[in-house]
Amino acid sequence: MRERNLVVVSAGLGRPSSTRLLADRLSAAAVGAAAGLGVRLTVRVVELRDVAHELMNHMLTGFPPAALEEALDAVRSADALIAVTPVFNASYSGLFKSFFDVLDGDALVDKPVLIAATGGTERHSLALEHAMRPMFAYLRAVTVPTSVFAATQDWGGDGSEGQLRGRIDRAAGELAREIDRRQAATVADPFALTTPFEDLLAG
Amino acid sequence: MQFGIFTVGDVTPDPTNGRAPTEQARIKSMVAIARKAEEVGLDVFAMGEHHNEPFVPSSPTTMLGYIAGQTERLLLSTSTTLITTNDPVKIAEDYAMLQHLADGRVDLMMGRGNTGPVYPWFGKDIRAGIPLAIENYALLHRLWREHTVDWTGKYRTPLQSFTSTPRPLDGIPPFVWHGSIRSPEIAEQAAFYGDGFFANHIFWPASHTQRMVELYRERYAHYGHGGADQAIVGLGGQVFMRRNSQDAVKEFRPYFDNAPVYGHGPSLEDFSRETPLTVGSPQQVIDRTLGFRDYVGDYQRQLFLLDHAGLPLKTVLEQLDLLGEEVVPVLRKEFAALRPAHVPEAPTHASLLAAARREEQRSEQQEGEKA
Ligand SMILES: Cc1cc2nc3c(=O)[nH]c(=O)nc-3n(C[C@H](O)[C@H](O)[C@H](O)COP(=O)(O)O)c2cc1C
Repeated sequence: MRERNLVVVSAGLGRPSSTRLLADRLSAAAVGAAAGLGVRLTVRVVELRDVAHELMNHMLTGFPPAALEEALDAVRSADALIAVTPVFNASYSGLFKSFFDVLDGDALVDKPVLIAATGGTERHSLALEHAMRPMFAYLRAVTVPTSVFAATQDWGGDGSEGQLRGRIDRAAGELAREIDRRQAATVADPFALTTPFEDLLAG
Repeated sequence: MQFGIFTVGDVTPDPTNGRAPTEQARIKSMVAIARKAEEVGLDVFAMGEHHNEPFVPSSPTTMLGYIAGQTERLLLSTSTTLITTNDPVKIAEDYAMLQHLADGRVDLMMGRGNTGPVYPWFGKDIRAGIPLAIENYALLHRLWREHTVDWTGKYRTPLQSFTSTPRPLDGIPPFVWHGSIRSPEIAEQAAFYGDGFFANHIFWPASHTQRMVELYRERYAHYGHGGADQAIVGLGGQVFMRRNSQDAVKEFRPYFDNAPVYGHGPSLEDFSRETPLTVGSPQQVIDRTLGFRDYVGDYQRQLFLLDHAGLPLKTVLEQLDLLGEEVVPVLRKEFAALRPAHVPEAPTHASLLAAARREEQRSEQQEGEKA
């Protein structure tokens, strides 16, 4: 089996959080789907709640505190991402946006990303398409076609549960295929010299 | 090892009473701080360059010239001189002039500038920050070393048969440090010329500074200037001291909490953990500073930032007393004891002149032997 790594970014605020619950189901489905393609996925979850203060400090000081730097590094070197946010005021939460705001602009280029969100009612499900997908498009990530929204009702088990599961499996399958057809991610060393000094001197 | 202070020259209201000094008071206080630095036995006074409020140091050679006249031993330097937006011809002339007046007590630190709008004010494009730093310094380097220069570049008017005057004192250009925060190109530039590399260090985690210095050392050796551990490294740092560490924390906290550079972000404790900021007793400052060596190796210059965030002059002068009496003497001794013999001190005018004389004698001797 080939080895790849998946990073799950969850912006849920509660403990327990339905956002984290959805994130866990998505990552379990992705691990399963990848295994079916001969890829062993290791999963690391980044709970943005844990680095919330660090995120703001980073914005104010210009450098990431150690705990946040580690999370950012994990995302940079991930082979794929699952990004899950609660919907606040018809869009991703500020905490979720802040994390991607401090991530370097090209960290997600060509990285497969599964987007998902939780919310009170399914009326907010389009936040995924009109807010989240454009942000990742701007960051030049490869967002898989199926996004997953879970409303409060979906956790109720009145038949909508089956629908949610189907959507999770489809999205996870799409993510696994994107992982499968790519080489392992490489991370550019920010301390590496890209141009020989003689060329810089030559202008 | 050289010890000194560097100032950014910010005019910041004192958060404990709301009072801000006038610009003149701040400018004069910087002079007082420099004189005090010499009096307490420090080696270096360096000042920043800014062209916007709330900063006053737009004209470093004016101030350094004045300080040169009021001091005898202090080395005068900058932190930083904006190599991107200043005309390299003017830098060559200004600092050679200063060098003569100060009897060689001058070196300088180049920096790309951290205030975006400064670029357009001086007709430059910030997106060309790195190429400007490379081209401008290449010209400056030649102007100080070649009597007559013909030159064409991208960013300034060409020069034909140009001689920058006065020539550097004794034919020895001021030693140059390249101040840097994050660009590998600047570490590379310092290494290429065999110049000094000064890592800002303050506001950044140790791991970051470590990588930058490592890169510079590696490249210094690559370009054949000596071993990686012989490269010339400087570090920033900022401290606030009282004999009793709780007193230091209590007194500095309102300044930290409200300073434009720190305020309203991480707590003093968080920031102290993540960066070299040390607020405590002289012994804590000694221990912390000695610890810098663990991740950058033996280095040649340590500059402290003391006079910022609205601290009153009186307090800054007290800080200098503690630094001069209790901290630096111990650091000097400890660093010297740890430093292997093959690791050089930072170059000074005297040491560069002596080296040039030795070189001259050697080649004369060789000529003699041939004849
Ligand atoms: C010690 C030190 C002092 C600095 N002081 C100033 C200053 O007075 N004015 C200024 O515009 N920038 C100052 N800077 C910032 C530099 O000009 C420049 O933005 C920085 O070194 C960029 O780092 P890089 O070239 O590695 O990206 C200072 C940098 C250092 C290292």
